[in-house]
Amino acid sequence: MKEDRRADLFESLRSLLPVLVILALIALVPLFSPSNRFLSLAISAGINVIALYGLSVLFGQTGILSMGHAALVGVGAYAAAILARDFGIGFWLALPAAALASAVFAMIVGIPSLRVGGHHFVIMTFAFGQLLAIVLTNGGDYTGAATGLDIAGPVTLFGADMTDLTRYYLMVVAFVTVAAVASWAIIHSSYGRTLRAIRENEKLAASLGINVGRHKIGAFVVSGIFAGISGVLLAYFLGHISPSQFSSFPSIYLALMVMIGGARLIEGPLAGGILVAFLPEVLNLDPVQSRIVYGVCLIAVIMLLPDGLIGGIVRALRAAFSGKPKQETEDCDAAEVRQ
Amino acid sequence: MDIFIQQILNGLSIASVITLIAIGVTLIFGLTGIINFAHGEFLMIGGIVTWLAVSAGLGFPLAVVLAILAVGLMGYILERGLFRFTLERPTNGFIVSLGLIVVLQHVVVLFWNPNQKSIPRPLTTVWDVGGVRIASVRVMVILITIAVVALSFRMITASRYGRALRASVEDRDTAALMGIPVRRYITGVFVLGSALAGLGGALLIALFPITPFTGGTMVMKGFAVALIGGLGNIYGAVAAGLILGIVEGFSAGYGFSQWTDAYSFALMILVLIVRPHGLFGGTSGPRMAS
Repeated sequence: MKEDRRADLFESLRSLLPVLVILALIALVPLFSPSNRFLSLAISAGINVIALYGLSVLFGQTGILSMGHAALVGVGAYAAAILARDFGIGFWLALPAAALASAVFAMIVGIPSLRVGGHHFVIMTFAFGQLLAIVLTNGGDYTGAATGLDIAGPVTLFGADMTDLTRYYLMVVAFVTVAAVASWAIIHSSYGRTLRAIRENEKLAASLGINVGRHKIGAFVVSGIFAGISGVLLAYFLGHISPSQFSSFPSIYLALMVMIGGARLIEGPLAGGILVAFLPEVLNLDPVQSRIVYGVCLIAVIMLLPDGLIGGIVRALRAAFSGKPKQETEDCDAAEVRQ
Repeated sequence: MDIFIQQILNGLSIASVITLIAIGVTLIFGLTGIINFAHGEFLMIGGIVTWLAVSAGLGFPLAVVLAILAVGLMGYILERGLFRFTLERPTNGFIVSLGLIVVLQHVVVLFWNPNQKSIPRPLTTVWDVGGVRIASVRVMVILITIAVVALSFRMITASRYGRALRASVEDRDTAALMGIPVRRYITGVFVLGSALAGLGGALLIALFPITPFTGGTMVMKGFAVALIGGLGNIYGAVAAGLILGIVEGFSAGYGFSQWTDAYSFALMILVLIVRPHGLFGGTSGPRMAS
């Protein structure tokens, strides 16, 4: 029994390893003195990836999709800006505070939204996201109305100024690593198994005594914590936030990134965030063209590779190595197949 | 009192466009379970086609017909090419529609820039009835919508195709067992819904200038109306459309115009919390093995 456990742990650690290696390589990038433009793109990609790890717990594990996720990021960002302005609270204290604010907002949205069930949840989150953008726009001086808020505050760590691009980049990579490990820990905990049970068969899960409603809200709250932290990083990186950054379309892009990367694998959010951020650079597209490409990619991925790009590649590799793919495991979580 | 009547009229003309979207949304959802968010983009394309046709020198009535045909054809192509493959997993259909939103919007931006587009008002007469100024173009929009909605009702309640359609919405599998070609009805509903959205877009651009991003807010209002009325319930959609239009009209008339967009969302959230199946009862989508 104990041997089994240890083997399980080893197996699941092995699934974390590729991500850690990739992140370590990414952390080495500044050695090649990249351009400031590259670093800025990478930082925004990393900030998205943190939110995507939260979204992957919600969508990949629990099977519910939030179309208002940018709103949760926005709550974090505005919390950081307002705390800095009114209370002089800096970056590090803003992190837990903003995470809490986003989690509470997720709970407020989640309780009524999840009550109305699967089909409507998506629309409810979308509506709440839109409402938040309207409220922020009409919030007068407190939220800075349509122009938004400035956030001016140094980010220091052990006395070192982190606002320098390279340092901020490294800090974001560190946060992404924490997010990846946290999401991995959730996936491989008994809590993660509970969430997957809900995803696969809600009624069966309920009949086993799992409180489906509470766990769904819980997963949404957890994804809110990720979003809140990503919001703080975004606010301090950009120095200025406005309602349009957190309305419906940023939410669609977040969902798109998690879909393109594949929500169920630990590599998915990282791949999705990086691909969507760098694809226009690589293909030399203007913003309009690149959005068309994203849309086409999203449709293609859904029609051809329902597990996302990485999920599709993993499956193709597995099929190539083992001769023929196992039929029963096709629809299963790849992480579970490994266990 | 003058303002009161004028605002009701304004509200009703917007409600007409929203109702046209909501009928398509509610029928497509009722039959396939697909939440088609791209429906707002269908509307926007209808407006753009109208704009192109009018700019090319065609008359407004001909432009409306072109918009209806073009968007109906687009609905047919998209259903045959994409949505037909997502019938087993409606969530995938929803995600595909998100992709379509992004693609359609930016294709329009790519060819015809992101600026506002408007056409000269097809009817410029303003009647003055006892101090109340009534723009004839608004009356036209309301009357066309009433005619189209009445025709759709007639089709759905009285014809045998309508009965078969309602049977399919009620229970797809049983309807199929009764010999109703459900797949063909799904295509038909997509085309009908798209054509109505095309008409809505043509009417909208007669009222206001539109941008390639107009679809987003309009589809949310359409969804709000469809959900408030109960998804799959056409009567509910029309009734809820009226309610929303009047509420928005009032709020614009009495100085809360910056909150206008919030009502549909707030109302929808409230209704779903209190009555998850809408005010007038609806289906929760086709029953299917999930």
